[in-house]
Amino acid sequence: MPLAPAPAPETLTHVACTHCGDDCPDEPIKRAGQPALSFCCQGCRAVYELLAASNLCTYYRLDERPGQKVKAVELPGRFDYLDLESVQSQLLAFRSPTLARLTLTIPQMHCASCVWLLENLFKLNPGISASRVNFLRKELTVSYQPDTTSLKEVVKLLAAINYEPRITLAELGAQPHHGTRTLLYQLGVAAFGFGNVMLLAFPEYFSFTEQLQSTFGRFFGWLSLLLAIPVLLVSARGFYRSAWQGLRQRHINLDFPISLGLTALFVTSVVEIVTQRGPGFFDSFTGLVFFMLIGKWVQQRSYDALRFDRDFTSYFPVAVTLLTKTGEQSVSVKELKPGQRIRVRHQEIIPADAVLRRGTGRIDYSFVSGESEPVARAAGELVYAGGRQVGEAVELEVVREVSQGYLTQLWNNPAFQKDEQPNLETYANKVGRYFVGLTLTLALGAVIYWYPKDPQMALRAFTSVLVIACPCALSLATPFAMGAALRVLGRRKLYLKNSAVVETLGRADTIVFDKTGTLTDVKKSAVEYVGPALSPAQLQAVAAVVRHSTHPLSQRLASELPAGSLAVADFAEIPSQGLRGTVAGMAVRVGSAVFAGLAPAPTATVEPAENLQSSVYINIDGITSGCYVFRNVYRDELREVLAKLSQRYRLAVLSGDNDAEQTRLRELFGPTAELHFRQTPQNKLDYIAQLKQQGRTVIMVGDGLNDAGALQRADAGIALTDTLTNFSPACDAILEADSFGQLATVLGFSRDCLRIVLATFVLSFCYNGIGLTLAVQGRFTPIVSAILMPISSLSVMVFATLLVRLAAWRRGL
Amino acid sequence: MSIIFLLIGISLLVALTFLAAFFWAVRSGQYEDDYTPAVRMLFEDEIEQDE
Repeated sequence: MPLAPAPAPETLTHVACTHCGDDCPDEPIKRAGQPALSFCCQGCRAVYELLAASNLCTYYRLDERPGQKVKAVELPGRFDYLDLESVQSQLLAFRSPTLARLTLTIPQMHCASCVWLLENLFKLNPGISASRVNFLRKELTVSYQPDTTSLKEVVKLLAAINYEPRITLAELGAQPHHGTRTLLYQLGVAAFGFGNVMLLAFPEYFSFTEQLQSTFGRFFGWLSLLLAIPVLLVSARGFYRSAWQGLRQRHINLDFPISLGLTALFVTSVVEIVTQRGPGFFDSFTGLVFFMLIGKWVQQRSYDALRFDRDFTSYFPVAVTLLTKTGEQSVSVKELKPGQRIRVRHQEIIPADAVLRRGTGRIDYSFVSGESEPVARAAGELVYAGGRQVGEAVELEVVREVSQGYLTQLWNNPAFQKDEQPNLETYANKVGRYFVGLTLTLALGAVIYWYPKDPQMALRAFTSVLVIACPCALSLATPFAMGAALRVLGRRKLYLKNSAVVETLGRADTIVFDKTGTLTDVKKSAVEYVGPALSPAQLQAVAAVVRHSTHPLSQRLASELPAGSLAVADFAEIPSQGLRGTVAGMAVRVGSAVFAGLAPAPTATVEPAENLQSSVYINIDGITSGCYVFRNVYRDELREVLAKLSQRYRLAVLSGDNDAEQTRLRELFGPTAELHFRQTPQNKLDYIAQLKQQGRTVIMVGDGLNDAGALQRADAGIALTDTLTNFSPACDAILEADSFGQLATVLGFSRDCLRIVLATFVLSFCYNGIGLTLAVQGRFTPIVSAILMPISSLSVMVFATLLVRLAAWRRGL
Repeated sequence: MSIIFLLIGISLLVALTFLAAFFWAVRSGQYEDDYTPAVRMLFEDEIEQDE
């Protein structure tokens, strides 16, 4: 018998759920024989019991309340499509009669307990032979025996313990992606070359080894050359390729002077060794490559964890329920043909443009169009793909294939593709260009000065200048400063696609917001009660009724009302009208004015703005007592954030919704902000493009598919998500909604980072200055190079990282 | 002093072994995930019995 975890800490009135840690209702759900355990809902208890039965309660000890509230609606046959041969063949990475293996993405994974439980799946289902977590990618690789269990069973088990994998069209067929290993190999070769060449160069540095040097100098030189060749061919390849690509686009990036310097260094060293004039600079050469690769590695490390380039296919479900003459059948969305009938249940996404045939559609298009309230559709009307059905199951007849639907077309619109900016104007690249000019001028100057006196010296000075001007410290400054910045921002739940986004954020001068879901908090909406007050018993009764409904307004209302667990008799939900039920002897009706027994007339007299808000009327025992009015609620921190932002940025709002909120937005945003309503996705995109044409650097903050184009077109698109598990459109940065209040601070921090990069540039210029002074005088020797290069590289790395930490600390991040 | 040739040969051989070991480690995916193994090794098998 597993021991019970410590009893939940008693707060004033609430008890935390043993599974998920949420507050329990006044009468917590108990488990027979273990009074110390309390659960907030049956779902949580079910998970606990499942784990307890397999002695897996360690789960609750490793981390504080690791469970997640069970909220999925159990739909029969939800995973049936996993039995399909076509789906299986795409999902499984390996398949044989005795073993099958696949990798699933599980976004809910968040702590050590999750890792532990997911790696102990075999205790829950003996058919699973092994499961392995990659926490950073939130992936689980499962091996199972197809003869004892099935893919559907595995996924069902995961869903039962509330780690439902995300299986979408985009993920189908995608093999577990390996992070690029090339860089690691290159780093390994460079480290190998660097270490050994340094060892061989050692005798050169010390006078007491002169005799050694005279005997073995030549051998050491050739050996160094031998060791440096793989470094040049394997490790330094990336720099040459990037410089070449830049050149082909008539653009000089930072990798160009690097390649120039590396070439000069290598050629000089080869010449010195072949002509036996000196030991060469191979130690500096390999060291440089090694340090710069470290910079690249730092730059690359942070990218893996999140995927920013999701397209519509990750939004659509994998399979739909097809209605055929023989009954229901699960088919892959891709196989959907016009004319077929499908069934879409509560909370499912409509996969293709279709005509509603049976049932009442209430379709939540908030993600596609930005409209905040679900749209009602009756039989015979057209529904577009991308909406989420709320309420009863409906039957649809497909009119267009998935690939030709409105949403898909929108997405494939060339205007929505971000034009790959080959010449990303980062500071480093801009500086790099001047750097090349300066270097070449100096090198030629040195030749002109020395040539009449000493031709040999002229050549030496020329190569020395090229070598020392190799901006390795410069190339390290950005990755290290930005890498540190990415980590700081990641802690604050702002995840950036790459470090160039930090620069863009720091340079931006205009911020454009979407309204629904971005400025407003979809989960909350102010509920105001108008009318004679309800008694606590009546409130309980209303709460009990609305809790039975899945209608969004009911659910919002339920979250506002006191928690309770009264039984409801005679419950009925009349679509687009309301709910009724009998609780503790009271007949409760909740719904539209007419449904609750009011004449529809009064609403007409109310001013139009009020009209657009939703009201839910309450009728208890035949008496209409009042109504709940729902308003959009702006995020708590919005006013504060806007006040800070408006000092520095030009602000604008693009809303797909109507202009009911205009006055409130005007008050929040101030007189100068531009407010646009009823914007289609294309309008939003055009607006951003227009701003960019005016030479502005634009940040777009949005959340839905309707913002996808604008997010792409903006210099930096920030997608706001309520949880990382939700879908977010392709973007440059993902901000968790909880951190919205820190937007101003984060942008300030990005500006700090830009200044830090500049400061680091100055530092590396100092090193280059010292080196150049020596170089033009022809006094740049291998030993000077061997000392100066690592010192400059290392100090720049340390300097950049520390300054970013300091800036973060000062901003309180 | 010609022993130096031998010594350097051996030292290079050792270094190459390490390079090969590093390649093997990269290939076998050890650098794919540098977080989970650190957590995994802290799990104990039978916590139930010692309480």
